[in-house]
Amino acid sequence: MKKNELLKRLRAKNGKRPYGAFIMLLFFALFLNAQNIYSQDKTITGTVKDEAGELLPGASVLIKGTTNGTETDFDGNFSLSVGNDVTTLVVSYIGYTGQEVAIAGQSSINVLLAADASELDEVVLVGYATKRKKDIVSAVSVIDLAEVEDVPAASVERLLLGQAPGVNVSTNSGRPGQNLDISIRGMGSLGAGNDPLYVVDGFPLESSNGINPNDIQSISILKDAASTAIYGARGSNGVILITTKKGTIGKTTVTLDVTTGVQNVPDNRRVEMMNAVEFGEFQKSSWIDKYIASNGSEPAESEIPAGIRNPESNTISTNWMDEILADNPLFTKYDLSIASGSEKTQSLISLGYLDQEGVIIKTNFERFNVRAKVDTKITDNITIGMNVSGSMTKEKTIGEDSRHQPVGLALWVDPREPVYDEDGGFNTYLGDRDTPGDLIFNSANPVQILHERKTTQNSNSLVANGYFEYKFLEDFTFKSTLNATLNNGRYNDFIPSTLSGFVWNRPAPNNASLNENYFESFNWSADQLVSYNKVFNDVHSVNALLGYSSQEATINSIAGNASKFPDDEIRFLQHGETSNVSSAESSWSLLAYFAQFNYAYNNKYLVSATFRREGSSRFGSDNRWGNFPAASVGWRISEEAILQDVSWINDLKLRASFGATGNNDIGNYPSLSTLGTADYITGGSFQAGKILSSLSNANLGWEKSEQFDYGIDATLFNNHLTVVAEYYKKTTTDMLLAVNIPVITGFQSTFTNIGKVENTGFELGLNYKTNITEDLKFRSNFNISFNKNKVLEIDGDNDEIRSQNSFYDGGASVSKVGRPIGMFHGFRNLGTFSSQAEIDASPTQDGAIPGSFIYEDTNGDGVVSYDRQDWVEIGNPHPDFVWAFNAGLDYKAFDFNVVFTGAQDYDIISAIQATTMNLDGVFNVQTRAKDRFRYTTRDPNATIPTSNYWKWERESNSWYVHDASHVWLRNVSVGYTVPVKESSFLDGVRVFVNGDNLYLFTDYVGNPEVNANGGISPGRDNAPYPLPSTITLGATFKF
Amino acid sequence: MKNLIKIFISLSMVFSMFSCSDDFLDKPNPNQLGEGNFYANEVHVHQAVMGVYGQLQGITGNQWLYSEMITDNTTIHFDQSNRGNAPNIESFEYWQYNTSTGRMYNLYSDIYNAMGNINLILSKLEGADIEAGAKAQFEGEMRFFRAYYYFLLTQYYGDVVLVTEPLTDPSAAFELARSPIETVYAQIESDLAAATVSLPHPNAIDASDEGRVTKGAALTLAGKLWLTRKDYGKAKTALDQVAALGYGLLGNYADVFDPTNKNHNESIFEVQFQGGNDLGEESGFIYNFYPRETNGEVTGFQGRSGGGWNIPTLDIIGDYEDGDVRKDISLSEGYTDMNTNDFVAIPFIEKYRYDHTIEGRPDSNWPIYRYADVLLMLAEAINEVSGPTGAYGYLNEVRSRAGLLPATGGLSKEAFRTVLLHERRIELAFENHRWFDLRRTLSETELIALLTAHGELERANQTTPRGDYDFSAGDYNFSAFEILFPIPERERLVNPDLGQNPGY
Repeated sequence: MKKNELLKRLRAKNGKRPYGAFIMLLFFALFLNAQNIYSQDKTITGTVKDEAGELLPGASVLIKGTTNGTETDFDGNFSLSVGNDVTTLVVSYIGYTGQEVAIAGQSSINVLLAADASELDEVVLVGYATKRKKDIVSAVSVIDLAEVEDVPAASVERLLLGQAPGVNVSTNSGRPGQNLDISIRGMGSLGAGNDPLYVVDGFPLESSNGINPNDIQSISILKDAASTAIYGARGSNGVILITTKKGTIGKTTVTLDVTTGVQNVPDNRRVEMMNAVEFGEFQKSSWIDKYIASNGSEPAESEIPAGIRNPESNTISTNWMDEILADNPLFTKYDLSIASGSEKTQSLISLGYLDQEGVIIKTNFERFNVRAKVDTKITDNITIGMNVSGSMTKEKTIGEDSRHQPVGLALWVDPREPVYDEDGGFNTYLGDRDTPGDLIFNSANPVQILHERKTTQNSNSLVANGYFEYKFLEDFTFKSTLNATLNNGRYNDFIPSTLSGFVWNRPAPNNASLNENYFESFNWSADQLVSYNKVFNDVHSVNALLGYSSQEATINSIAGNASKFPDDEIRFLQHGETSNVSSAESSWSLLAYFAQFNYAYNNKYLVSATFRREGSSRFGSDNRWGNFPAASVGWRISEEAILQDVSWINDLKLRASFGATGNNDIGNYPSLSTLGTADYITGGSFQAGKILSSLSNANLGWEKSEQFDYGIDATLFNNHLTVVAEYYKKTTTDMLLAVNIPVITGFQSTFTNIGKVENTGFELGLNYKTNITEDLKFRSNFNISFNKNKVLEIDGDNDEIRSQNSFYDGGASVSKVGRPIGMFHGFRNLGTFSSQAEIDASPTQDGAIPGSFIYEDTNGDGVVSYDRQDWVEIGNPHPDFVWAFNAGLDYKAFDFNVVFTGAQDYDIISAIQATTMNLDGVFNVQTRAKDRFRYTTRDPNATIPTSNYWKWERESNSWYVHDASHVWLRNVSVGYTVPVKESSFLDGVRVFVNGDNLYLFTDYVGNPEVNANGGISPGRDNAPYPLPSTITLGATFKF
Repeated sequence: MKNLIKIFISLSMVFSMFSCSDDFLDKPNPNQLGEGNFYANEVHVHQAVMGVYGQLQGITGNQWLYSEMITDNTTIHFDQSNRGNAPNIESFEYWQYNTSTGRMYNLYSDIYNAMGNINLILSKLEGADIEAGAKAQFEGEMRFFRAYYYFLLTQYYGDVVLVTEPLTDPSAAFELARSPIETVYAQIESDLAAATVSLPHPNAIDASDEGRVTKGAALTLAGKLWLTRKDYGKAKTALDQVAALGYGLLGNYADVFDPTNKNHNESIFEVQFQGGNDLGEESGFIYNFYPRETNGEVTGFQGRSGGGWNIPTLDIIGDYEDGDVRKDISLSEGYTDMNTNDFVAIPFIEKYRYDHTIEGRPDSNWPIYRYADVLLMLAEAINEVSGPTGAYGYLNEVRSRAGLLPATGGLSKEAFRTVLLHERRIELAFENHRWFDLRRTLSETELIALLTAHGELERANQTTPRGDYDFSAGDYNFSAFEILFPIPERERLVNPDLGQNPGY
């Protein structure tokens, strides 16, 4: 079979009409008797083929100006009843030019579609309704899933990486099963969340957890307010619309996808730490420097403490990072789907299994997915469908982003310690030296932690949705959907007695402890929609939609911890000598009414308007409801007479939009005052005590965003090049900010609607496709996004927000008026003092010694003061621009695809460096510490400070800030479609090799997309789970 | 048309199923009570009052830093390997604190946080449905606490913002400036006067209420207030009233701190704790006072060591007279390493160290006021009014329990002052009196001289080893302005009109 054939069959499986789902039997019964109220007295049959004569199954055949119609069956045939007044059919198919066909009295029509045409007729899900691409007048990106089909994606976000301008996905951690960071058009909020809303088959969800990427049929991303306003209070960070695959008409298709591969952490992304001999030399030379500092001369060899005198005697050397990294851990994924259907009923069943071993030993992630989707036409005007999916994930995990977690420990623990004792058991307590001059901290053995500490996270999810759709009065459709999700999760962390403490000086055995949490959440929503579609006089196209939505979620949780277990074998809370259990419940609800109106004149002038009124339980009783209007206009200049003769312009559209959206991601009860607990004892008995723990604010309302968007969509040069360029300006006001108040009120902060943040940006997407020869096809795609973020207002009395971590964790952030959110904040480092004379001649810096950092006295008062008066911005975590480039070639049965991504001009603050370059001698240090300031040479140009102790070395300062600009060879894939005999039981086979996160060009050692804290202190590196490169082999079999 | 109507009706039904009532959006927080009408009855107000007592546990648990470690009584067990606390807790030992010091802010905010609850309860008492006797007691307690906290604030910060009404609308708080210390003192005075009337006699308190404040506490604080304001006549009047309430010294100094002997006859007010169970009411403070890096010799729990804070200085150890029974009860000069059998000369506080059954959950109460303090204050007041003659009896009552010879007559007023300060230092060691005592009884010059001498002593002969770490130039460098703590920078960022103490 030719590849074309296979592709067509693939596409046949992926019908184009997306649906939301779950059944509403009540409505079903109500409407069952409803009659067909318009006449259908003529049947048209026909076939749809491409230019090569291949039949096109799954092509859409619609009565012009309506959404009424059918799809071709597996053999490309269709049959459609139409009214006598119907004169024209519209035939369309993804990747082909749509065509209008006059019926002109025929009862059998054969249609030939031109291949490789513009995709402008492609139908895209935009909010509650679908639109043709060419009719869209707002900022919507559609992900071309074919580009990412070989990527070993464990999550939905990975599919989006580099695929759309303005959609920034960061691989901030390599933890298996970890969701990636995603942000759409910059950070809009200082106080509330910045995550987009996910809408899966019409159901709004707060995360994409548990969704099998293989089940996804299409993804559209709504970026501007005109498209997201219909999601009201949850639209301001963008909306990701996901439609899952559905059944097909015709022959039952069975598809099996198998992917397997290995993962590894490339050497150039690893920080180089000292080995045992180097560390010994470091200790010895540090001791000598201290000696010189107090005695003014170098010590005799015999004066150096015996324990550190001979570094070369450290014959055992352990590279702890090597020890915790797994050897070629596997990535394995199986997906099986069975699609079948008749004209009336289509169904799809899919099963998925993912097993990703971690690149850190003893960690892994497993997911099982199952989905069943059925759509059925009860009568010609009634369609119902349901979609039930379940997922189960199991994760054996570890903590990250801390020097006390295994990855952090593996950097700094004593390299002179072996992993195992002579008797083969674990060396349980590292660095317990206790000899003069040897200061290294004691610690647990990270390899032993990974083997013996059991941290598991399991979650189960059941999502069910159903819809009932009724077409009436020819142009009206009523759709009712009901959705429900049941999630539960269990976290279990047992620390056995055999581990030494993670904090200092706790040799094993210690008290075993257990931490266990369980939660269950139930979330339902119901939507009622009435829509109207009509074309008047062939030129006025109108569609309108009215809807009502309600949603409610409740989360119950129970958490317990216990310690002092009699043994490590029985691991349940009640076996601990001391234990605590607590439970909690929280819930939220919302109600909304919305309307949408679209009008197009002659496919040339396009107008769209939406309005949503929404109420949320999260806000104060006086300010619960918000209004979210939006409007957009478009002008397809290419339809004007003057451009009709310009042959290189196929389509050109100018558009502009404005809209308002909201954000309610601030937890469930911020407007209410709460009473906390402060119990007491009197008369030797317990007395319950209550204190006010927050102030109420009945006026607390929406965080609002207003966004302007101006765009150009062009299709040029015989449909080879498409261009999308957009400029936007988004202003967020009334932010839900915990604002500092005088503590004399009893409280340090209270939630208020204040402040203003602006994001302005430019996005460009280019797509070029051409057939070089009949056998050689080229396709490429480039996108770039520039976003400028600026705080316009916080509050007169609170005009900066500082986020400070404990100082020895390095790195602080500040958000100031007039500046971007979360700039790095600290002392500006001017190098090192080379002599006492230089210190004396400089602004006073208490405790400074030769070799200590020179901090800038930025306020010029002659004192570098440690109360942070001299702190300034020292780095910017926001890239000037991010970009991605995809290129692909198809040659005969081979296909090839490569993806680059990059980000330019931004910084990361390395918090872990405050440990790995802490030269006190208590940690192992990076090999570059050899180049530190030495008292023997006193190099005035040294940038690494002395190992002699001096104060405040680890305060946040510009030494910890690093440029993280990078280019990433993100993905390469090569596929081959295996020739299959017509007679074979197989319909098609494709095999591929894929390399993911392959090679990084950057000066930053580590992962340039780390984000340990998130929120308004972005760009902090604190020893995350390392990100692997992955090489996979895969195959797709069709039966 | 019939169909149209049918559809219309059906649609209406669908919409009405999910009625648009606002009730659907009312989501009270099921985990917590709201302020709402909480303060309306006795059960709830009792809980709110207990909440204020509960907050006292936390505030008291941190006072050692501001009242002992800052003085010559205690120092730190220097942590050579972890310098992380240098800019925060250690800055009090070295007088390196500044407007951004974290613990400085905690001190300020914890007290005002408690004040918020006190003012809220006082404002709600009027309208609450509570029996008169209980209402009077609640009011007396709240006014005592308000006085107690404002007294702490004035001693630490000088002029402070005086808030006596709940500020549930925070916008009003941005307007409030600091009041002169005399105005705050006047408020304390009036609160104490009211509290003294409303609070029960110590013998009249129900057994189930044991541990709550009584007249004794209010009068003791009044005595302290007047001593501080140098109105020694009023001080003596108040303290005489305390003495008349029937308190007496226990025979044995150790019994004063013994958790099996809580709320004894010498105790005027102590913060209640309870260990050995899961109630969360244990007192954790002694874990801060244990030396670091022990194997459990001091804590009694294998492998568990302490924070290494509030370590008795060589200076105070040397200040005990020979034969003073209080020395070994109050402190240890070191411990024996269980592995090497070597003596480790890291001193630590002994007076709160009692065996407890569950690691981390000691049972000890914390003494706020006790009768020995009252006796020494009476001696102080009498000496200041009319010289030492009538004061020896009070002093010697305390000395004789300590196994010491009575102080003999013939001392000048100044010399007696010095003797009394010494006696207070030893008798009330590590009970958070030292800083206020020094500030009250010494002139600014004397105070600076004493602290500078302490700094020089520590620089020359440290109580705990510093390894290779030199002092920096700014360590132990005490200036007159540092007698008052800085108003935290954060508060001045929020309210730029809030003044600062000079020097910061």
